Amino acid sequence: MRIADKMNYDQVNAGLQKNRSDLSNLQNQAATQKRINKPSDDPLAATRLLATRTDLQGAQQFIKNINQAKSFVEFSEQSLAEMGDIIMRAKELAISQANDASANEGTRRSTAAEIEQLRGQAIQVANRKMGDRFLFGGFRTNTAPFTPDGDYLGDGGEIQVAINRESKVPMNVPGNRVFLGESREARAPRVPEPSMDDTPGRNEPKVPVREPASQFPELRPSPPQPEGPRAHEQKVAENISETWRSGGTNVFRVLSDLEVSLRANSKEGVQEALDRLDSALAQVVVARSEIGTRMSTLNSASENLSKGVVENKSLASSLEDVDTFELVSELNKSESTLKASLASSSKLIQPSLLDFLR
Amino acid sequence: MSKIHAMMDIGKRSMMNSQTALQTSGHNIANKSTEGFSRQRVEQQTNTPIGMGKLRYGMGARAAAVTRVSNPYIEKQLGLERSVNGYAEAKAEAMGRVEQAYNEQSTKGLNQFIADFFNAAHELANNPESLATRTQMRESADFLAKDFSRLNNQLKSVQRDFDGQITQLVTEVNEMTKEVATLNEKIQQVELSGGHANDERDRRELLLKQIGERINIKWAEGKDTTVTITAGNSALLVAGYDAKRLEVTPTPETATKAEGALDIVYYNSERAEPLVVTSQFTGGKIGGLLEVRDQVIGELHNELDRMAYSFAANVNEVHRRGYNGYNDSGVDFFQLPKDIRHASTSLKLDQRVAEDVRNIATAAAPGSAGDNRIASAIASLQQVKFMDGEATADEFYTSMVGKVGIQAKRAMTSAETQQNIVKQLTNLRESISGVSLDEEATKLIEYQKSFDASARLIRTADEMFDTVLNLKRM
Repeated sequence: MRIADKMNYDQVNAGLQKNRSDLSNLQNQAATQKRINKPSDDPLAATRLLATRTDLQGAQQFIKNINQAKSFVEFSEQSLAEMGDIIMRAKELAISQANDASANEGTRRSTAAEIEQLRGQAIQVANRKMGDRFLFGGFRTNTAPFTPDGDYLGDGGEIQVAINRESKVPMNVPGNRVFLGESREARAPRVPEPSMDDTPGRNEPKVPVREPASQFPELRPSPPQPEGPRAHEQKVAENISETWRSGGTNVFRVLSDLEVSLRANSKEGVQEALDRLDSALAQVVVARSEIGTRMSTLNSASENLSKGVVENKSLASSLEDVDTFELVSELNKSESTLKASLASSSKLIQPSLLDFLR
Repeated sequence: MSKIHAMMDIGKRSMMNSQTALQTSGHNIANKSTEGFSRQRVEQQTNTPIGMGKLRYGMGARAAAVTRVSNPYIEKQLGLERSVNGYAEAKAEAMGRVEQAYNEQSTKGLNQFIADFFNAAHELANNPESLATRTQMRESADFLAKDFSRLNNQLKSVQRDFDGQITQLVTEVNEMTKEVATLNEKIQQVELSGGHANDERDRRELLLKQIGERINIKWAEGKDTTVTITAGNSALLVAGYDAKRLEVTPTPETATKAEGALDIVYYNSERAEPLVVTSQFTGGKIGGLLEVRDQVIGELHNELDRMAYSFAANVNEVHRRGYNGYNDSGVDFFQLPKDIRHASTSLKLDQRVAEDVRNIATAAAPGSAGDNRIASAIASLQQVKFMDGEATADEFYTSMVGKVGIQAKRAMTSAETQQNIVKQLTNLRESISGVSLDEEATKLIEYQKSFDASARLIRTADEMFDTVLNLKRM
């Protein structure tokens, strides 16, 4: 092949350029310690990397959710433990006043005062707050759920916390269930039908919009219930009678009934209260064990997430981080290639016939 | 019978021939690095011999022509490949710019802001009573909306940048076509009188390659030696001595092109209506830039708009069912853009939410500060495949990044491949037409020697004359 001078120079140029660009690419990788510095470096890994980052942040958020829920649950648990202690104390007092051998009108009257105090404590516990939030008011967390008379002002809402992509765990126990013995369905805050007053021009979206009620069960409208203050009172009355039927116990009523019996010096009344105190205690214990189960659910979910976080990080690292050993050896290789092509270039460019015509 | 003065004549002409050859070598050496130059050589022929019968003797040599060494097929192929190379290089460079807008390796991008938005919704669900979490929710949504428009605008500014490049390239093409038309005239003049317009032809071939690198053209040389150039399918740029101009002009939005983006127009004559010929340009640098500007970025804008709109519509749908801090329901969270088109730039928070975070709805039923069901449902939208029913917002965006990455990578790979093809062809061309200094040095010596020898011939003839003239005295 005939070799023109320009070919040599072009070749030297192209070769050096390629070597230098390879080297600068590797040096960039060494400086950032990242294999992927832009999506085109490895499109597949780059998209997986974005997905792992989303997962990672999701997991970290779920861990935050869980920590928040845990403190709420722990605090509820403590309060219920205190409530248990109060009922135990009331029971001890009731036992001591349940026969005529050791008790008389005087002791019963002084015990009644103590029971009144205990009842006040019980209300206080039921109105316990964590930060600004009342623990036992259902969704109504910004007003005290119980009046001094033991009337419930909260609702039956369970505050659900997302603990991973799939599941949610309630973090509160509505006070009406644990202290008034009402069923789960009672006072559940109803979801109204969505209003149909869609503003004009609303119907233009050509993109699919998901009907929220179909995917979030908690947003499904609940059946209509009687409204208005009278209806509410009627509902309360119904609830109470239902409570009696279903065996639920109103803790505060038990205490106030006990107090009345003591004041009335009624041995039978105190004896009857004993049974009811037992069922009140059982009710609180059941709620505590329910909370205990939630706690262990939260703990195991948190552990799983932490494990996931570690796995995620190592996956991300394997996707984007450079293998240092490989990189260094690559760097050495391209460096020596560059030197070799510099050396050969000097040989290629220099001599011409003119240098020998002397 | 030979004559002495014929000898002298041979010597003289031979000296002139050597000089021509030396001059040509000098021309070759001087143009060693001139782009598109083909080495030239002197074609020598023997003169017609004279004499009678068996005694015919030569009358020396004459320089018949200076021709260039060139293979027209390789030149043509090189032109085609350089055109493809121009397209591939422009596209790779353009995709690099596009890709930069999606690069989240070191900076915060849409992926991050989407995650932040849903995390803020989780925080809001954790603490619906708090003004702080509401504010955080509003801020993260605001950042998300701003990042949608950041991405949209970044892509737009890339488009504007391409427009600048296209304008520049069109100007260059116009300059070159004008020069080709001038060269057409010169070459015709030279070659009608039987000469070889070597340097002019080299220059014209180079220009054709350079125009082809910028825009897809078809060209052919007619019998009259002039070259006719057609750009795209119908824009006749050069015919005979005449060059027509292409121009760029901003035009309104169409289905295939954004508002204000430049169209390329062609004027058939000074008076004629301008013809929009943009869609004919699918090759060369202009073709690559147009493809990325209109098809690639156009599609990305569409996807981004669709994503922004779906996002806002779905969040709104859930949010409107909820009750806010004032026990109102039916309040939007985002101000839904009027149209899907441009949704990513016009997306912003609903006026009421922007002014007062208490307007953010968290509750599914009125009157309960701690009701977090709506906030929680908004957070769960992260897992809902609302993009065409097959992808979540995250997945949709991630696949968009992947697509851009793959397109960029493919463009870079094919540019590299094409560069190699052009390099090989250029090598082949240089091997035929390129100047070799060694060769020229050899020729210099060769013709210098023949120049010397011819001079010696003249001197010999001169001495012979002297001898003849001195015959009488002897």
